[in-house]
Amino acid sequence: MEDDDDCPPVAVDLPPLATSPPATSSSDVSPVGVTVITGYLGAGKSTLVNYILNEQHGKRIAVILNEFGEEIGVERAMINEGQGGALVEEWVELANGCVCCSVKHSLVQALEQLVQRKDRMDHILLETTGLADPAPLVSVLWLDDQLESSIRLDSIITVIDAKNFRVQIDEHKNSSSFPEAFHQIAFADVVILNKIDLVKDNLEELEKHIHDANALVTVVRSVRCHVDLNEVFNRQAYGAKNSSHLQDLLDYSKSVPPSLRHDNSISTLCIYEQDPVHLAKVESWLEDLLWENKSSMDIYRCKGILHIHDSDQIHTLQAVREVYEVVPARKWAEAESRMNKIVVIGRNLDIDVLQNSFSGCKS
Amino acid sequence: MEKGGSESSLPCARCGKPAQLQCPKCVELKLPRENAAFCTQDCFRTAWSSHKSVHPKPNALASQQFPEGWRYCLKRGRVRSSQLPRFDWTGPLRPYPISPMRVVPDEIEKPDWALDGIPKIEPDSDLQKRVEIKSPELIERMRETCRIAREVLDAAARVIKPGITTDEIDRVVHEETIARGGYPSPLNYHFFPKSCCTSVNEIICHGIPDARKLEDGDIVNVDVTVYYKGVHGDLNETYFVGNVDEASKQLVRCTYECLEKAIAIVKPGVRFREVGEIINRHASMSGLSVVKSYCGHGIGELFHCAPNIPHYSRNKAVGIMKAGQTFTIEPMINAGVWNDRLWPDDWTAVTADGKRSAQFEHTLLVTDTGCEVLTARLPSSPDVFPWLKP
Repeated sequence: MEDDDDCPPVAVDLPPLATSPPATSSSDVSPVGVTVITGYLGAGKSTLVNYILNEQHGKRIAVILNEFGEEIGVERAMINEGQGGALVEEWVELANGCVCCSVKHSLVQALEQLVQRKDRMDHILLETTGLADPAPLVSVLWLDDQLESSIRLDSIITVIDAKNFRVQIDEHKNSSSFPEAFHQIAFADVVILNKIDLVKDNLEELEKHIHDANALVTVVRSVRCHVDLNEVFNRQAYGAKNSSHLQDLLDYSKSVPPSLRHDNSISTLCIYEQDPVHLAKVESWLEDLLWENKSSMDIYRCKGILHIHDSDQIHTLQAVREVYEVVPARKWAEAESRMNKIVVIGRNLDIDVLQNSFSGCKS
Repeated sequence: MEKGGSESSLPCARCGKPAQLQCPKCVELKLPRENAAFCTQDCFRTAWSSHKSVHPKPNALASQQFPEGWRYCLKRGRVRSSQLPRFDWTGPLRPYPISPMRVVPDEIEKPDWALDGIPKIEPDSDLQKRVEIKSPELIERMRETCRIAREVLDAAARVIKPGITTDEIDRVVHEETIARGGYPSPLNYHFFPKSCCTSVNEIICHGIPDARKLEDGDIVNVDVTVYYKGVHGDLNETYFVGNVDEASKQLVRCTYECLEKAIAIVKPGVRFREVGEIINRHASMSGLSVVKSYCGHGIGELFHCAPNIPHYSRNKAVGIMKAGQTFTIEPMINAGVWNDRLWPDDWTAVTADGKRSAQFEHTLLVTDTGCEVLTARLPSSPDVFPWLKP
């Protein structure tokens, strides 16, 4: 049947070649940051999300409400279209495929689809409901660079109700349990200390409690979650080569006195070692701690810099629960004094055991 | 963005002058721009009578007269269509209609997805997070099942030749599996419509057996998993169809070697992430690339579970091998770029550049001193790989 094809149609404009096929172009564009928002019910997560969606900040931000662990389903993504401030709804299908022989979790595939469908996306917020332990979600979103994904995990934000937190801490003084909120604080890169207008006194003390648990976290105070978005987005907390984080670690000093609590609370410790260490030994040391659970310590996060034998590169170390990465970041500067420094956040941490076992990596 | 990339540098498909226009039909069909670019309306009109042959005729495939009930597979197997879906196909291969679902006799023990397509135990099992150390009794069952899976794959290998369809391969796999009392694990797994995967040429993995006849010069991977006595055994091999060009032979042989070299390092104490380093090193030395989107997996009473074993280098896979663990290693190696795309059936993974891809897979058991290849070749296995000849 040739009839349709006999007369040629009118040729149409050929757009410039710049629009190359998606497979190759996606790797040229820098990936879209994903921020995970945690926090207990009533802390102000929804307030933060609404603020971000409705504020005129000129950024195009998608908010996805995700019940992590609910594999099958369709997620609603709300997108602030930027300048106009118009809200657009998109539906993101979570493919219920065989997740296991696929390297990327269906959530990652759904986020990549969202990024691909939109011609421009500045950031993605993932609001999780009542997620007590963010670690499984982090291990799904912290993708290998090799995968050249169009998304990257930017940071974990925990919203805390300052008033409720105060109450929890006071109760804690009379019991052996620790406030549940500390678990989320331990994994957070940013804590938004919300509802400060309801707590008249002693915000410093609240912040100190937060920093005792997680010395690396940035605390942002807020009323009704009005925060500077530039402060909470694009933290690049999982970027191994992020220079400001590297500097933070170089400058990090043990000035935060570990009040030598040998209770079961969450705390931050710092391992320090001047002499160079062997990379292979550091890896085995980490794997014993994180994978083989050979001690009673429960390690949530590590961030550190390493001075490796026969290398002029600063190596950065990062771990979330059992997933870890050690990569060369840049050359040591002439003026820098070379050293190893590992900040460890977790429960039941024993600085002597950590320090001594790490020193074994020297020879 | 490349400098000067904003300026169209495509030549006219007819005369070679810089092109400003393109064929609207090619745009509609998402065909490659290279053959669709023209300098002027005149040149396009002149070229039309020969150019139009690049448009696939809508009823060209339908006119081949497929048997009643054969349809194109869509939506992960949940939808069938009588029309070839539209897609910017990455290479010359196209899907063909698939036959109706095959039946498994009642007396055969079935996994929990057999009836409704949804695995229930697998997704929520704690074995997705923890790598199981198998009991000797479980290991013995794995040996039996893996041996059956090997026999089934060998039976499929024996029928491969130009002119037979991948559906015919599926029929052999299906019948040989149930003849041994097993269930073909892929059948209805997340709605997968067939009893094995057949991946031809640019298909990386999860190709659906269909009405396409194998052609002289094709390569085809057959991926078999058998469920028997409550456990799964999983393996695959890539075969030559008739006379295959030298580049394809190299690709298939290198992929075979990648798996061999990976198996050679398996023993207690080795990190799972080392597997990717070995495979990547061998593939890159031959100028080939490693598929990153699909990985090896734990296997046993579950079809897919922990650990995840990526085949690419610099991965953050967690864990160390221990005696008593069982898992697959199944490198997919591409002649061109590593990137993959998914066909509209939502199963078939193809190379993004349309170049060929090969794969080999074994189910392995970590032993005290190394590993046992549970799906190893048998003395009776067909002699199809020239490099294995004495």
